[in-house]
Amino acid sequence: MKNKILVIEDDKFLLKLYTNKLKTNGFEVFGSLTGEEGMNKISVEKPDLIILDLILPRKSGFEVLSELKINPKTKNIPVIILTNLGQKSDVKKGLEMGAISYLAKTEFSVNQLPEIVRENLIKAKKK
Amino acid sequence: MKNNKHKLAEVISIVSHEFKTPLSAIKGYIEVLIAEDLGKLTVGQKDYLKDALENTHRMIELVHDLLDVSQIEQGKLELKPKPSNLENIIRKTIKEFLFVVRAKNCSISFKVLDKVPLLNIDPLKVKQVISNFISNAIRYSERKGDIEVFIKKKGNNVIFECNDNGIGIPKAEKKKIFTKFYRSEKAVIHATGGSGLGLFISKAIIKKSKGKIWFISKEDKGSSFYFSLPIKKYEK
Repeated sequence: MKNKILVIEDDKFLLKLYTNKLKTNGFEVFGSLTGEEGMNKISVEKPDLIILDLILPRKSGFEVLSELKINPKTKNIPVIILTNLGQKSDVKKGLEMGAISYLAKTEFSVNQLPEIVRENLIKAKKK
Repeated sequence: MKNNKHKLAEVISIVSHEFKTPLSAIKGYIEVLIAEDLGKLTVGQKDYLKDALENTHRMIELVHDLLDVSQIEQGKLELKPKPSNLENIIRKTIKEFLFVVRAKNCSISFKVLDKVPLLNIDPLKVKQVISNFISNAIRYSERKGDIEVFIKKKGNNVIFECNDNGIGIPKAEKKKIFTKFYRSEKAVIHATGGSGLGLFISKAIIKKSKGKIWFISKEDKGSSFYFSLPIKKYEK
């Protein structure tokens, strides 16, 4: 069975890029352009992993992460933060709030994304 | 006046951040094309896309440099010191440059003249300075240039040295070399790339780390760039 991945990213070009890359590498992928829509999709689709941007309209990535982690039904879903906020304080905050990994958009190659997702799915299962 | 400078730095910071998202998208789409996800490419098509990607990386680097400059101008340059092995940082940095060094038919060597203890420095920021020195040495060397890197101890300081036998810096321009956006006329003619921000940022990082930065250069003979970092205060 394919792993379900939810990408929450407000830039439509990046959303298309990430979802297509993951689809062509065998994942079932859903996308959301806002944090609020992302939260709805999480309860409906029950993804195996979430890729989360931080600066999002209506509900920020930090708010989404916080809501996920206090809900017993969603707290174990691994979350990879994929953002342009590269300040050390943001990285620290994201990881302390329970994200499994933190990536800066300009510093990684989209070709590595499927492998990063696979690695983090394994890492989350071992926890 | 100071207030205007502050506001300008803030604007640069906001604009640079705004650039990051479209640049990430451009970079990603090119990477997907190069990986041939959408079909096989001819050698020529791949070559052009690689050039486009290289230029996107240049833009991203420039944006990062502008953000650093804006932090420096606002007095917000953030250092996160922790006990770090300078020798390892240098080896790692050199490894990242090997591809470019080979492509330019240059050579690079690294010698540890004295063992250096762990230093309480921000490893990423110091690595940024080392990268800047090495990339300048490569950029401004002729083909088959020799780049030598050393570390040694002098009193209570560790000294990093990067030598090249490249184009050197004309005497008249030496005073301006750490000024932001400054690139010598010779440098502009010799090589593309380089924003003229690297040495300005490097100086700010080393100064904030309580070290010193300097250089010796002779036109057409080459340059040696140095920085020192204090050991005694930070020794475990």
